[in-house]
Amino acid sequence: MKRNLLVLGLLLVAVSFCAVSAAAATFTLASDTTWPPFEWAGTDGQFYGFDLDVMRLVAILGGYEINIVSYGFDIIFDDVGIGRVDIGASGATITPDRVLKADFSAPYWTSNQAVMVKADSGLNIATALSAGRKIGAQVGTTGAKWVQEQLIDKGINVELREYTLYPLAVLDLVNGNIDAVVQDEPASRASMAADARLGIVGVIETGEQFGFFVTKGDPNGLLAKINDGVQQLKASGAWANLITAYMGGAELSKIEAAWKAAASFLTAKDVVGFAQALATGATAP
Amino acid sequence: MEATIGATNVLWQSLGPFFSRGLPETVKITALLLCLGLVLGAVLGFTQVYGRRPFRYACVTYEQIFRGVPPLVMILVFYNGFARSFHIMLPATMSAVLALGLRSAAYQSQIFRGAIQAVPPGQMMAARALGMSKLKAIRYVMLPQAFRLAIPPWSNEYSGVVKDTAFACAIGVAELTRQAQLAMTRVSMVPDIGSRLILPIFLILGMFYLALTYGGNALLGLLERRLRIPGFETKGKVER
Repeated sequence: MKRNLLVLGLLLVAVSFCAVSAAAATFTLASDTTWPPFEWAGTDGQFYGFDLDVMRLVAILGGYEINIVSYGFDIIFDDVGIGRVDIGASGATITPDRVLKADFSAPYWTSNQAVMVKADSGLNIATALSAGRKIGAQVGTTGAKWVQEQLIDKGINVELREYTLYPLAVLDLVNGNIDAVVQDEPASRASMAADARLGIVGVIETGEQFGFFVTKGDPNGLLAKINDGVQQLKASGAWANLITAYMGGAELSKIEAAWKAAASFLTAKDVVGFAQALATGATAP
Repeated sequence: MEATIGATNVLWQSLGPFFSRGLPETVKITALLLCLGLVLGAVLGFTQVYGRRPFRYACVTYEQIFRGVPPLVMILVFYNGFARSFHIMLPATMSAVLALGLRSAAYQSQIFRGAIQAVPPGQMMAARALGMSKLKAIRYVMLPQAFRLAIPPWSNEYSGVVKDTAFACAIGVAELTRQAQLAMTRVSMVPDIGSRLILPIFLILGMFYLALTYGGNALLGLLERRLRIPGFETKGKVER
């Protein structure tokens, strides 16, 4: 009897190994999930956001699986670059420094930097960025870099405060500890939608290009699949629907509900259906 | 009152899941690092007391290095440093456990050294005089007493490392503090009341660590009382 059990156990192990090898390859995807609407973690533990859904759909089209892990923004480029994780999708601007570390996809999003202040502060874009002001930005972001290079390095004596998380910068702004926050426009708009005390006084036309990125040298051959996938999403209209769902300033809870309602399309690998259902749900009155 | 309860419910419904995902991770890291620290710390402590000179020096050097470097720096060395310099890519949780565990071993070695040295040396001599080998005397005479003496200072080390695990959030380990960051991101986007929920998040986070240290110390106190040898006085005070 014991012998039979042993044989049965071995068989089960063998079968499960076969099942694993037959399944699609799984890649780890890192994202700093503290940056709505591009990426965030819901109360239910599910990761939501534009970047992550694009990557989910691209993975379906490319025939591989992704496993999303939450990451700190300041270490994401190093860790993707050296291959600790396979893919990065985190609202990342393609910059010369970052290109040295990791290999980037074709640009998928153009962003500008918004200057956000307290609505009742009476500041405008010139006074908000003038000498003596305290300006907040997330550490390692192009917003922080812009303040450093375009203001401080050019002799405008502002104080740059860098935060590990973007919401902390916004919180410090609301609390009156800093005068302005420089951050990508979509994230700033999302913050403003959630808090009436915030206002955007201007947009700096940096024309930054966001890219997805993979390990240096692209050992898994993912870049072509990502670029093809994004093209397919654009051609099928799914891309436009994702933008409608995430960039329309809808409340996060509404997007989350729409996502859950649309999730069955993901399991069915229906890329177009998913994006359509998500956009409809997120924009429903 | 009802409104307060309602608000608390809403708060808990939106925050609870974050914390309940983080708690097992924090407990896991704490347990693993304490086990590593306990085994290695005991070996280091005993070697420092009974070992031959070169081993003793090696232990002292190890202990000085690992007690002298901040926990966050240690975590970054194991996680980023090894990966960049030697291409040894330890997973985030393992980096945290190793960095904090090896560090804890250095602290624990001093706890055990102090405990061993608190056992009167006459007992060693007596055990040897009765014909026990040095190892046997350590195993049957010194160790049982030293471990009992080590419990109170060890509870101190426990309280310390529970809170050190929060540093693991720097490398993205999904423990309590990282979950609090994710909760803060999500909750700050709730219209109108979002920014008012930030303080409760961090108060709740603090209470989790408080509960962990309090609970752990209560268990250690229980252990201390259970292991007490009736009528045998090793403490400097009269047993109640």
